[in-house]
Amino acid sequence: MTAATSVTGAPTSGTGVRRVSFWRVLHSEWIKFRTLRSTLWTVVITAVVMVGFALMMAAIMRSAVDNPEMQREMAQDPGMQAMGGLAGTTAITLGYSFGQLAVAVLAALVVTSEYSTGMIRSTFAAVPHRLPVLWAKLVVIVATTVVVISLALGVAYLVTMPLLDAAGLSIDLSDPDQVRPLAGCVLYLATVAAFALAVGALMRHTAGAIFTLVALFFVLPIIFSIIVAASDAAWTDWVNKLLPSVAGERIISGGPTPDTLLEPWVGYGVLAGYTLVLLVAAAVTLRRRDA
Amino acid sequence: MIEARGLSKRYGDKLAVDDVTFTVQPGLVTGFLGPNGAGKSTTMRLIMGLDGPTAGTVTVNGRPYAQHRTPLAEVGALLEAKSAHPGRTARQHLQVLAATHGIADSRVDEVIELTGLTAVARKRVGGFSLGMGQRLGIAVALLGDPRTLILDEPVNGLDPEGVLWVRNLTRYLAEQGRTVFLSSHLMSEVALTADHVIVIGKGRILADTSVRDLLDGASRRHVRVRTPQGDELSEGLRREGADVTVFDDGRLDVAGLDAPRIGEVAARSAVVLHELTPVSSTLEDAYMALTADAVEFHAEDITAVPATAPTTVAASSPEGAER
Repeated sequence: MTAATSVTGAPTSGTGVRRVSFWRVLHSEWIKFRTLRSTLWTVVITAVVMVGFALMMAAIMRSAVDNPEMQREMAQDPGMQAMGGLAGTTAITLGYSFGQLAVAVLAALVVTSEYSTGMIRSTFAAVPHRLPVLWAKLVVIVATTVVVISLALGVAYLVTMPLLDAAGLSIDLSDPDQVRPLAGCVLYLATVAAFALAVGALMRHTAGAIFTLVALFFVLPIIFSIIVAASDAAWTDWVNKLLPSVAGERIISGGPTPDTLLEPWVGYGVLAGYTLVLLVAAAVTLRRRDA
Repeated sequence: MIEARGLSKRYGDKLAVDDVTFTVQPGLVTGFLGPNGAGKSTTMRLIMGLDGPTAGTVTVNGRPYAQHRTPLAEVGALLEAKSAHPGRTARQHLQVLAATHGIADSRVDEVIELTGLTAVARKRVGGFSLGMGQRLGIAVALLGDPRTLILDEPVNGLDPEGVLWVRNLTRYLAEQGRTVFLSSHLMSEVALTADHVIVIGKGRILADTSVRDLLDGASRRHVRVRTPQGDELSEGLRREGADVTVFDDGRLDVAGLDAPRIGEVAARSAVVLHELTPVSSTLEDAYMALTADAVEFHAEDITAVPATAPTTVAASSPEGAER
């Protein structure tokens, strides 16, 4: 190669280089997000699965109309009760628990994959202030979650409409009690994304972050649902209802609040509080720690 | 211009960089030389603000790196070859970093062409060889047209053509008035590329000197002579002003006279010569001597080569370095 014949003009020219701003960092993070195939696939599959679950549940509800025993069983099921009982919104939002796994893993990876691949060095060399990177990642993952989950719920609403109408469970979008679980589903998953991003930024290792998130959002709720059922101790009730997912999920459920759980907005507030604390901790450590 | 003052970095019990002070001047290629684990990479990470110093300060172009508003226009850094997500293409990787400074795609394509990556620009980085990864790292370093370049082992993994290209590129960048700071654990490489050299060992600066001075210091030559008439010859040589060391096995090391003159002296006094070998202590030898106590990982010396072997590697001889 005949080397540096066309290098770069005068040393101080700095042609076409503008100062780093939040919007530029956000643009950079957006390119990062959309240029990874695994990200795109995760997003698409999440949306498809959520719509699929909604269809499946709506079909079951439809067939339950002609089967009173089945209807009674569904109404008495504790899981169904926690979701808000036999309602159209329950069918549409059913996929959230799958969605939260996908969203949490994706959000954690947004940070941890930079550490595992060494990309973080390039990122921090370009943005040595570091904090704009964290906030830009937050905006990208939260905005993507909001858009994708809203789209998935919208499609689910449309495709399940004939089935739910036939089951007499039509969703009334003018009823605040029915809109809250739908909007709550978007809000919950967006908050889970922020929570997971913060955990990823704090732990920096993919396996550790995903283990923590799965333990918090999937394993502990199962264990505590058993403990709460078996034990009379008040503290187990409290630990259970304050678990991030158990508290946060309240915003998605319709119907009356059981004694063992928090009111929907209180529950969501608990999850939002955890998320805020984790984000602040992530920001502080990001500035201080060696990359 | 890079200025480090009393810079230290401790990782746990290990003091990786120990109170180093140095200045890297613009318009020169400055080599940063030291054995593996000497603290080169750590120092470079400290300059880039990737790691925070335990003590001391380091500034680039007058400010700590993080305080610059256009960091990529101040410093272009190649720190480790694989500092990219393997799932992105080379071009996407550059676009990601360009976006932070509003750098246009045209500039991205320019550095791709400049670093010879055009053919693989749309291939994913995960499949890159070490050499291609290195070129991508250099492309990233050049992206913001920076005033200062920090290159950690830039020729690692490059083929000979690539090595030559990096040499020419760094020289060219320095001639434009930029500050070029490149690390290497190979003395010969630094001698070929750099004007100035900072030698580090066990976290401390061992030498901070021009390459010319280091070469002069290294090029103490002598001639090895074997003869059955050692006493006679050494007497004759000393009369000519030579400095002769006589060894037990009959070998003479003669300094101050070159081989032809020694031959003439021997012929005049009818001394039989069995060997007449010019020996120059190489740059590598000077470097080894300098860092002998500061090497982190000693290997067993299985070859038992004497410290002053004849110069057989042209590239590491002083003459080679002048080219």
